[in-house]
Amino acid sequence: MPSAHDWINNPLGVVEGMFVQNNSNPEWQKKVVDYFKDKLTEKEAQTWVPSLNDVPLHYLKPNSLVKFRCLIQDMFDPEFYMGVYEAVDPATKSKSLKCGKYKDVTECLQVEFNSRNSVTSERQTFYCVPIPGESSWVKECYARSSQAQVIPSTSYTPNRHKRSYDEDDDMDTQSQRPRDSNTGSQSSGDSQRNGDSKRQETEAPSNNTTTTQSCTSPLDLNYPLPEEQGPACLVKVYEDWESFKLNDTIEVFGILSVDPALGGVSEEKEPTSLLDPMESMETVEEQRAHSPPPSLVPRLHMVYALPLQHINPLLPSAVSEDKNAFVTSFLSELGSIRSEFLAYLTHILLGDALAAEYLLLHLVSNVYARRDVLPLGKFTLNLSGCALSATYTEHLYRIIQQLVPSSYRLPMSLHNMNSMRMVPRKDYVANRLVSGVLQLASNTSLFLDETQLEQGQLDASGVRNITALGNLISWQKVDYDFNYHQMEFPCNINVLVASEGRSLLPSDCQVHLKPQLAPPNLGEFLGAIQAAQAPSQMNRYRLYLSVTRRMDYSISEEVTKAVEEDFVEMRKDDPQSMSAEDLHRMLVVSRLLSLSFGQTTLSTDVWMKTKHLEMLRMSRIQQQKSVNGHEP
Amino acid sequence: MAPKDYMAEKEKAKQFLQEFYSEDDNGKKVFKYGAQLVALAHREQVSLVVDLDDIAEEDPELVESICENAKRYMGLFADAVHELLPEYREREVVAKDALDVYIEHRLMMEQRGRDPADTRDARNQYPAELMRRFEVYFKPPGTSKPKVVRDVKADSIGQLVMVRGIVTRATEVKPMMAVATYTCDQCGAETYQPIQSPTFMPLIMCPSQECVTNKSGGRLYLQTRGSKFVKFQELRIQEHSDQVPVGNIPRSMSVYARGENTRVTQPGDHVAISGVFLPLLRTGFRQAVQGLLSETYLEAHSITLMNKTEDDEMGTQALSEEELRQITEEDFYEKLAGSIAPEIYGHEDVKKALLLLLVGGVEQAPRGMKIRGTINICLMGDPGVAKSQLLSYIDRLAPRSQYTTGRGSSGVGLTAAVMRDNLTGEMTLEGGALVLADQGVCCIDEFDKMADADRTAIHEVMEQQTISIAKAGIMTSLNARCSILAAANPAYGRYNPRKTIEQNIQLPAALLSRFDLLWLIQDKPDAEADLRLAQHITYVHQHCRQPPMHFTPIDMKLMRRYMTQCKNRQPMVPEELADYITAAYVEMRKESRVSKDTTFTSARTLLSILRLSTALARLRLVDMVEKEDVNEAMRLMEMSKDSLQADKSSTTRTQRPADVIFSLVRELAGEGVGGRGGTGGLVKLAEAEQRCVTRGFTPAQFQSAIDEYEELNVWQVNQARTRITFV
Repeated sequence: MPSAHDWINNPLGVVEGMFVQNNSNPEWQKKVVDYFKDKLTEKEAQTWVPSLNDVPLHYLKPNSLVKFRCLIQDMFDPEFYMGVYEAVDPATKSKSLKCGKYKDVTECLQVEFNSRNSVTSERQTFYCVPIPGESSWVKECYARSSQAQVIPSTSYTPNRHKRSYDEDDDMDTQSQRPRDSNTGSQSSGDSQRNGDSKRQETEAPSNNTTTTQSCTSPLDLNYPLPEEQGPACLVKVYEDWESFKLNDTIEVFGILSVDPALGGVSEEKEPTSLLDPMESMETVEEQRAHSPPPSLVPRLHMVYALPLQHINPLLPSAVSEDKNAFVTSFLSELGSIRSEFLAYLTHILLGDALAAEYLLLHLVSNVYARRDVLPLGKFTLNLSGCALSATYTEHLYRIIQQLVPSSYRLPMSLHNMNSMRMVPRKDYVANRLVSGVLQLASNTSLFLDETQLEQGQLDASGVRNITALGNLISWQKVDYDFNYHQMEFPCNINVLVASEGRSLLPSDCQVHLKPQLAPPNLGEFLGAIQAAQAPSQMNRYRLYLSVTRRMDYSISEEVTKAVEEDFVEMRKDDPQSMSAEDLHRMLVVSRLLSLSFGQTTLSTDVWMKTKHLEMLRMSRIQQQKSVNGHEP
Repeated sequence: MAPKDYMAEKEKAKQFLQEFYSEDDNGKKVFKYGAQLVALAHREQVSLVVDLDDIAEEDPELVESICENAKRYMGLFADAVHELLPEYREREVVAKDALDVYIEHRLMMEQRGRDPADTRDARNQYPAELMRRFEVYFKPPGTSKPKVVRDVKADSIGQLVMVRGIVTRATEVKPMMAVATYTCDQCGAETYQPIQSPTFMPLIMCPSQECVTNKSGGRLYLQTRGSKFVKFQELRIQEHSDQVPVGNIPRSMSVYARGENTRVTQPGDHVAISGVFLPLLRTGFRQAVQGLLSETYLEAHSITLMNKTEDDEMGTQALSEEELRQITEEDFYEKLAGSIAPEIYGHEDVKKALLLLLVGGVEQAPRGMKIRGTINICLMGDPGVAKSQLLSYIDRLAPRSQYTTGRGSSGVGLTAAVMRDNLTGEMTLEGGALVLADQGVCCIDEFDKMADADRTAIHEVMEQQTISIAKAGIMTSLNARCSILAAANPAYGRYNPRKTIEQNIQLPAALLSRFDLLWLIQDKPDAEADLRLAQHITYVHQHCRQPPMHFTPIDMKLMRRYMTQCKNRQPMVPEELADYITAAYVEMRKESRVSKDTTFTSARTLLSILRLSTALARLRLVDMVEKEDVNEAMRLMEMSKDSLQADKSSTTRTQRPADVIFSLVRELAGEGVGGRGGTGGLVKLAEAEQRCVTRGFTPAQFQSAIDEYEELNVWQVNQARTRITFV
């Protein structure tokens, strides 16, 4: 039974022990790091550590080891702290050396500040937020796999049950959601929760439209997405912080610190501070941003961090060696999954097999390299003709949300475009990076709903937002606004534009939806299709997307030659219809097509299929043009 | 290590200040610091900057100690100056302000009340800070490199460091108490309290002899007039964007500026600051709360403003031999052009034109008339032919540039706007993109999408290189000496060769004629080029990187430096070439009249040729324009015209080069008949070749055409191959 692990419950004791043992020899620091690394890379050890993502903060023991799956939203300036300090016992006046690493506050009252023995060291603070747009199935799945023991609370379980009975009445109050999503940590696998989660999934997006939160705390926790929940965290990094980049997704293992004294600075009304207005060089805003109350933003002293390649809980994490075996076994049944998945998508797209094929390719796409400024492998899909009914795009998004680990739907209404903050901006008053919708983790699916756009005037910020979206689509980068200059941050976001006609945003590929069926009640129809998919089947789809996306790919010399000749041949026949752009796109399509079949090299068959697909698509666009007459 | 004898160090400082001299041109000794000490003594100067380079001449060891422990040495030097000052005082100083009077009085009081037998120095009684009216700063040695903010770490605490950055916040300048003076309500004695940290605990009980012995419990009251305040300002600087590793947030740092260093910068300025990196001391409650953390700041010793372009000029030093050799190899012109946007395939001639735009022609100003030297280029083309990529590459390459899109900018945004300042209510001018790109490149994408009214704002800039403003009581003319690189889409989505350019891009002739070169980038099928293109693209997809080229593109930084060097040249057009150019121009005019030309050949065309040829001469780093330069300039003009008319040939019958050359030669022969008379049917071979080369044919093509037609017996070439005679 994974309990009573000292290194989880009292990691500071372990650190202190090592510090004393090594007699404050600088070597001890490395030993501590190695110790935790060894412990955490042990089989299953990671699941014993409670996670901030699914356990509410007040159930966690202060100064215990916890983990946090997060995105680095901001990086603060480095801090200088006393790595080793001398403490004076007020009773006996005896001095002793203490270690200040992994701590915020001293336990003893008197510290000898002018001691020769104290060592000043440097650490870096990252402001981390939960991964934006993380799908609820991901959260649940992680929570279920957790074996951490949380202090049992008597009021906790009944509370949850009670709510699940009268859920319909009070479930739309957002404040209860975080606790609700934590249910997983309590028990494992009862059928009731399954229903619970279903409801939650359908509930969540409808709440999205109301961005104003009734329970907004005065403190802005700076989430990239407006309706985000969960704890934000200040992560203190002690070792090689250069390896972390902004917007990286990491799993942090660290020592939780929630000492209320930390937030004390924000109650800035002491008489002493009135005397001297210059006492603090920081503005009030800055203090609020950098030392928020720990009850809201706990501190986490990192002992070990795991960079996450993906956040799909179904796929073993990158470190485990049985991953390869797992993938190979999965590859064998890949073909059947693909056809099932394609059939599923075809149903959802109302019987349009071509659009389904392209949607599948889009979901598999991934920026795999950058050449100078040009990102390779991105595949932005513009699904036009989506205005079948008022809610079709919403349904569509909900289905995609069920498939990908993280996603976000951005209704491109005029109001949203004009008022939303998309590009992160540096706030020099508070000295922090104010997040925007486009600060997303790698491989997040961004669903742009253009059917929501109505006629009207875009103001300056609206134009900027549209430009930012255009840049994101064309170059896979976001220019963060640093007031005096802009900084380019590359990203890797799958953008799907759902529109009525051709989108006003650029896209790699446009497919016009041609429904074969016209069900009278769209919502019910889609709901029925979804319900028909068993959870295990959904898991297979999710796994399929994650696996194919990560596969390596190459093009052999012979196929290259064939492709080149093909291109020249096609140009000869009709130069207008085949440009360099088209070749680019076809190569991307063929790559994605190969991967979706589980093939790692381009074969002539796939190339022919690519050409066929493209031809079908182009002819459909031509048709559409002739119908609409003057469409550009 | 034995503790340093700081008294000895102070003596060293004293000695240095007194004895340091340099010799001027006449061999006379100039006491650099001696003179400043005199000025300090008479209150004519406030800050004394000690240049560590000077100290290094005398005592290199001392410099090292200063850099390691700058704060301590600042105190030592201040003490030394303080002790030296009376010796340098040459005349009575008039008291300038209340504090001077106070100091004087205090000295007098001290003198009077003192036991005559006591020979102690009077000044010691008061805290030294109170009596000083000067500031001592160190200037770091020239050998030390400016650091990046993120490299200033815990180990540099206490040291003299120099950092560069951009000011993001500057507080108001506030007075900060340096010495608090109190008087006692019982005994009237004055008490002083020097203050080092931002906070202090005021004294309450009078510590004077009288009060202590009498236990009268005298209360102290703060005397504002008797206290010493210094100007104080807090700045925050942030790293330059180019110093930030990819995927990181720029770091920032607090800077405290005191005294003379205040009010030097404003937010947005680029600065180099040298100062002492110090931990911030907190007292009382804050210290307890903060626990183990300590904040740090940089105490500024000198703040230097610099503008961005200066900062970028790592290319100020001339190119080294090797670098020059690397550039000026054979076919360096092709190589330089190819290094522009190497990721974009083909378009050699367009790239050459862009290269010339970056270098620019020579500006001429004969007798008050100003003829611009900057080259304006307009790129037109079908959607998706990498126009925007070319623009953004130029934007990145040019040392100074602005990138804007026509749709996103109004005329005001491009030129200048008059704004009312929120604070003062005054009218201020805000420069637009064109003003900001002065002496650089202004790239305007989607030029055709601009509103006509806005576009006219550019007319003046493109020829006169100024922007005149007459609004809201402000009448002025701003410099906008920038090259304009515009990109436009054809009006009907794709270029329609059956229509004129005007119809195709819907730009007025007045504007079009202001562009030196107009390029139409078209997407035309050509099996060979297509294959190469396909290879290029598949290679990228196959290997995720650039295919190997027959040359390695020149590094951007090197390009920039080479171009700055090119710009220093002012090549002239020699006398003998003038005729040649005029003749060519006359020829062009004539031709434009004859053929139904879609472009305009006007006096501006002639100027364009001159500009292009001077730019070419600059590129070769020579001072004289040569015939080849003119030929290349005309070739580029011709190619740009060709690009506009290219489709004509494909719609009718494709003319082989040989056919065109033949007609050119025949035309030339005809001219001979009309012009000079008598020499009918006789053409000089050299002349004919010249004519053909200016039309964009290669000499090889010319030769083969000559041979071909000779075989057909259309003409004969004489033995020496100098003449062509028509049969």
